[in-house]
Amino acid sequence: MAIASDINPYQGALKGDNAFAQITDNVSRIMEAPKPPRAWYIAMGFSLMLLAMFGASLGFVVWEGIGAWGHIHPVAWGFPIVNFVFWVGIGHAGTLISAILFLLRQNWRTAINRFAEAMTIFAVICAAIFPGVHIGRPWLPYWMTPIPNQMGMWPQFRSPLEWDIFAVGTYATVSILFWYMGMIPDFATFRDRSKTTVRRLVYGLLAMGWRGSSRQWHRYERAYLLLAALATPLVLSVHSVVSFDFATSQLPGWHTTIFPPYFVAGAIFGGFAMVVVLAVPSRQFFGLKRIITMRHLELMSKIILATGMLVGYAYGMEMFIAWYSGAIYEQFAFVNRAFGNYGWAYWTMIFCNVLAPQVFWSKKMRTNVWVIFFVGVLVNVGMWFERFVIICTSLARDFLPANWGYFVPSVVDYATLAGSFGLFFTLFLLFCRYIPMVAMAEMKAFIPEGHAHDH
Amino acid sequence: MKPKSLQDPSTVSSGELKTPCDAADMPASAAADTSAAPSHWRSLAELDNDPEFREFVAREFKTPLEEMPLSSKGRRRFMQLMGASFALAGCRWKEDKLLPFSERPEGFVPGEPVFYATAMDIAGVATGLWAKSFDGRPIKIEGNPNSASSLGATNTYHQGSILGLYDPDRSQQVVRRAGQRTPSSWADFDRAAGELIAQARAAGGRGVAVLSEASSSPTLASLRSRFLQAMPQATWVAYEPSHSASAEQGIELAFGQRLRAVLAPERADVLVSLDADLLCPSTDGGLAYSRAIASRRDPSGSMSRIYAVESSITEIGSMADHRVALRASQIAAVVAYLDAELSAQARPPAALGAAQPRPDAKFLEDAGVKKVLDVIVKDLLAHRGSSLITVGSRQPAEVHAVVHRLNTLLGNVGKTIRYVEEADRISGGAADLAALVAEIEAGRVETLLILGGNPVYNAPVDVPFAAALGKVKNSIRLGLYEDETSRLCTWHVPQAHYLEAWGDARAFDGTVLIAQPTIAPLHGGRSAIELIAGLLGLPRTSGQDLVRATHDASDDKVWRRAVHDGTLGSAALAVEPVLRPIASMTLTEAALGSADGIDKLELVLELDPAVHDGRFANNGWLQEMSHPLTKISWGNALMIAPITAERLGLRDGFLATLTLEGRSVELPVAFTPGQAPGTLTVNLGYGRKVAGRVGGLVDEDVEVVGTDTYALFTAKAGAIAVGATVTPLNRRPDVLANTQDLYAIDDIGARGRDERLPQLLRETTLSDYQAHPEVIKHKVHHPPRLNLWHDPVSYDGHKWGMAIDLNKCTGCNACVIACAAENNTPVVGKHEVARGREMNWLRVERYFKGDREQADARQMPVLCMQCENAPCEQVCPVGATLHSSEGLNDMVYNRCIGTRYCSNNCPYKVRRFNYRNYNLDVYGTTPYTGTDDPRAKLRSMAFNPDVTVRGRGVMEKCTFCVQRIQNVKIKAKNARRPVEDGEIKTACEQACPTGAYVFGDLNDKKSRVAKAHGEPRAYELLQELNNRTRVQYLARISNPHPELATEDGHSERH
Repeated sequence: MAIASDINPYQGALKGDNAFAQITDNVSRIMEAPKPPRAWYIAMGFSLMLLAMFGASLGFVVWEGIGAWGHIHPVAWGFPIVNFVFWVGIGHAGTLISAILFLLRQNWRTAINRFAEAMTIFAVICAAIFPGVHIGRPWLPYWMTPIPNQMGMWPQFRSPLEWDIFAVGTYATVSILFWYMGMIPDFATFRDRSKTTVRRLVYGLLAMGWRGSSRQWHRYERAYLLLAALATPLVLSVHSVVSFDFATSQLPGWHTTIFPPYFVAGAIFGGFAMVVVLAVPSRQFFGLKRIITMRHLELMSKIILATGMLVGYAYGMEMFIAWYSGAIYEQFAFVNRAFGNYGWAYWTMIFCNVLAPQVFWSKKMRTNVWVIFFVGVLVNVGMWFERFVIICTSLARDFLPANWGYFVPSVVDYATLAGSFGLFFTLFLLFCRYIPMVAMAEMKAFIPEGHAHDH
Repeated sequence: MKPKSLQDPSTVSSGELKTPCDAADMPASAAADTSAAPSHWRSLAELDNDPEFREFVAREFKTPLEEMPLSSKGRRRFMQLMGASFALAGCRWKEDKLLPFSERPEGFVPGEPVFYATAMDIAGVATGLWAKSFDGRPIKIEGNPNSASSLGATNTYHQGSILGLYDPDRSQQVVRRAGQRTPSSWADFDRAAGELIAQARAAGGRGVAVLSEASSSPTLASLRSRFLQAMPQATWVAYEPSHSASAEQGIELAFGQRLRAVLAPERADVLVSLDADLLCPSTDGGLAYSRAIASRRDPSGSMSRIYAVESSITEIGSMADHRVALRASQIAAVVAYLDAELSAQARPPAALGAAQPRPDAKFLEDAGVKKVLDVIVKDLLAHRGSSLITVGSRQPAEVHAVVHRLNTLLGNVGKTIRYVEEADRISGGAADLAALVAEIEAGRVETLLILGGNPVYNAPVDVPFAAALGKVKNSIRLGLYEDETSRLCTWHVPQAHYLEAWGDARAFDGTVLIAQPTIAPLHGGRSAIELIAGLLGLPRTSGQDLVRATHDASDDKVWRRAVHDGTLGSAALAVEPVLRPIASMTLTEAALGSADGIDKLELVLELDPAVHDGRFANNGWLQEMSHPLTKISWGNALMIAPITAERLGLRDGFLATLTLEGRSVELPVAFTPGQAPGTLTVNLGYGRKVAGRVGGLVDEDVEVVGTDTYALFTAKAGAIAVGATVTPLNRRPDVLANTQDLYAIDDIGARGRDERLPQLLRETTLSDYQAHPEVIKHKVHHPPRLNLWHDPVSYDGHKWGMAIDLNKCTGCNACVIACAAENNTPVVGKHEVARGREMNWLRVERYFKGDREQADARQMPVLCMQCENAPCEQVCPVGATLHSSEGLNDMVYNRCIGTRYCSNNCPYKVRRFNYRNYNLDVYGTTPYTGTDDPRAKLRSMAFNPDVTVRGRGVMEKCTFCVQRIQNVKIKAKNARRPVEDGEIKTACEQACPTGAYVFGDLNDKKSRVAKAHGEPRAYELLQELNNRTRVQYLARISNPHPELATEDGHSERH
């Protein structure tokens, strides 16, 4: 890392003579440095390339028709919905960290909550794109919203897709509000430290006149608490509702009462995995090791281990209930899932989601950044496969054997999947550079110095 | 459905109907008619009655259209002109019979369909039809219920023919080839041909030959006589690859005279089908036999028993109660065995000779086969006079003769089979073609006239017709397409489609069918009879005059009645032939076939159920139709039993090389359980290189569809060839467009499939069903089906429902094509079918019953079940699929945004999604954009105007033909009467040859459908899901012989 420190402006000693000042300096210098580290440029270039591919492939889909995707007759939902559920799931950890851990007074969350929340929002943006473009007439998704119109058309509220619109919409709105509100004091800090007019103006606008008065702090903390309380049920609701898309249907492999808790656990699992995947390089490249410490990573590893076990339990329980139900279609769906023609996908999922996190039983492993990062990647792969297994393999072989098919993705499928990561990383990299990556104000409240009254 | 009014277009003459075109022509006729100088004149030329001026006036355009310089892209240019003139249709043609109305005649309502009787003759097999015409545009074919050849039913070819009419690839101009292709005109052709014929007449017809396709047309037959009269030394040969001389010869061997067998299988209690498929669309009378046989498959009536001994599963084989898979070449031994047994017990008169010697073929000792044959003998003897044995046309003449003998000995003649005098038909096969080729090779043919067919493509490989054709100085081809044959001829002239021309045909029972044109020839084609009449210089060459003259219908009333009904005269009278002694038909050891086992491969070449002998290769509907057994569309496959295939190291869905006598082709392998061990079945008709933009056009880089298997078709071996070899190729075809999984799938899948099939496709035996009628309902046990909610709809008025009788479905696919024609479902092409994106609202699911060695096929049509508790309706976020008050599950296309959730939640997966803009891709037009492309305009004429054409991104599915329901309801309402049962027929129901579909109102307790739903064997597919389907299946009830019955069905638990 010697070379890295040469070219990385974020690795030097921190300015300031006390912990408060050092935190401010540590976070603010990311924005203030004239140039970010080379790694940022490389990552940004790569992400933009993927983003361009995303745009091109979605443009192609809109132009050509969604036949450009690899959907086959029984598998009417393919990659787009897999990606949608995957990205919505990723979003979960953010809200969990910001809201639930806040309410539970898990103060360690302050180191990671900001970018976990950012991750949530970017993931929801990625997710929201897919349902819009996966529909047959991608210029009409607004017909799903209850807009009064002269034609008297109205959505059909019995459809779980309609519930999705509201669940994801509410979730996105509350997450953005929560994220933005939390950033106001930090934007003010940025504003105050800015040396150029443009920055002062932009951060000034974003700070909304924050002056740090005690009345402002009082209002701010009340509002933050209320929003946290409001966001908490959303952690459970959004993925539960997404799971209703499947759970309320008649399809064996979808029609399962375990889905809501199973999806929520899976989402938190995948979300935390994504947080560590983002945290490990960020703390490295932006010099945040003293803020995002090994303890944070270790705690997150423990959560991944715990939620991974929950997910593993759900996998086992699905199998058991299928057997116990005595319904031949249900039994077949699960036996086929594990041992049929999509068995490879199922076992990839089991390996990544159930077996891989088991290494975190060992303290040595869960304090090794490489292991944490690698398991995080595996879990993300596994969670993507989980959605693929649920959606595609159930559809591929449903009731009537004459319908059975085998879904093979097209180039566009792969391009949109990779492209959505491009969008996600582009947004994330912009966030790292221009937005306070760590909640400085909150952080300061919980460092030991924050509680010292004896000087 | 009864036609609103049947009109006879022959009454529509130009005299009655003034059009702008007539007005334009007036001066011309005036000028032509007056020999004296006009009193008023427009120019000196007119005053002089200058012939040049007369011609100028008579012409429609300054330069005659047919002489207009056409660019190298002649066809395209021509099409542009065509497109422009569609709006003015009627002006372009000189014929004066069919013109658009300028004043609405009495009784004609624009937008109301009119049905015209017509007839289609496919390779000599004629069927009486109705063409449904909207404002002068035929859009749908229905069977003519008045004709015994149809009884209201149709087959896939008939249904597909409407698309063929509007095929822009059809030949559109006269073409001359002298070294290179030169567009020409009818006038030039008439001049050139006139000279040729004049010379030939002078020479007594020496050097003239006519090669025609098979035809049952009495007019063409009489023209043939006149042609040969005028030119006694000319020859007239017919060639049809499917022709089998042995059936005709067999009757001659048996009775010493040329007769035709007409069957009455409805009277047969026991039906033995030996390598025969009575129900197949290429069987003459197939539609009538289908209806007749199906009428005896109702377990509440008296059920027939069907035995099938055959190499490949046929339609009747899938219906049979007992089926034995046996090599086609061993049928002779079976027949000999039956003769030996039956003769011994039936004791024929001494004059007829004793029985055949009992054959010593080894397979007859096989316990399974012997047991079935012995039961067949017993059953036949027990049903003398009410049994029937049929044998496949490809079997040798002696075999046919012995079968006629057996039917006679069993007293079936006059009861289940009758013989009629064979009428004058045009038919011929490989031997006839070989004789013609020999003539050509000997230099004795200078002028060859080819009427239809496509011999360059479908001649047997050992008859070098193409090479011989090159040696003919003048070859004239009349064809629907400028195809392989036309390319080697000096002249190509466009043929009129059967819907464009007058014609006649003879049905299987001898009745004459009259066909009237339903539209003026789109591309100026002529029918074969018009062409021949013209060449002969007959005074009246219009199709109508020719046909009318043939049938001597001088009485207008009689003629108009015949045109209206589509039939003339009655069925031929039965004769009582005298059976000849056995000696004339003894099966030689050679004919008895060998005792070849599984290792000596037998290859059977069959006509394709979709493209026939290749003639429908450019028809998208038919290409997209999947084969009833292999479920492969857009191509043919090598059908082989799994055990044979594994022995040869073949893999399902992989390619293999099939070799016969040193000639080989590459084909995908399709494991087909039920195929006799050691046999291969391959369909002909694919691999067309000059078919068109659908079936393959090598010049324009249009992918050739399927494999040309005529390379293995020899005059010597005929349809059954022994000694083929198959070698596996370790690769898959680029695309295999199968609509159902291959047979060989993973074990888990196969187990899951086998586990659920008894619940999905329920069946039992007649005795079991009679003893325990509840057995069908008890195939699935489930908790009580309760609903949380009240029905949102009361169903006070009508309550539409359907019943599908699995006892009657043969998997013929007629309903599938009828549905496509009625409901404007697009063709999606091979690559999209491979992704399962075919748009057919109705599919026929094929399953196998039995094990890998002995299996039978089961066919099950599946369409939208119109669930009362529809899972699709609940999940649509925009309410695009809704329940109607009559219980239809309606689809609102323009509300649909295409989430496809409905498809996912449909347990039957009957919803089809427009993944692409298929109408744009295939027809070149969309409901959104319209088109200026004349090709697209022509194709879109085939659309049913009653049904929306869907665009990209919307879901669609079976509507129970809601447009038909509404049309009948409106009519009934106007007449202030209730809708009668059976008045509404869905497209599938109307087309179905066996009557497997019944549609009607469930609120009407006396309706056929309500009764069917009330039968104990009625069941809902996946009833445990509580979707409460409006389509119910009637379980398949087989009627096995007690000695052969296997335990199947009701267990002691009940």
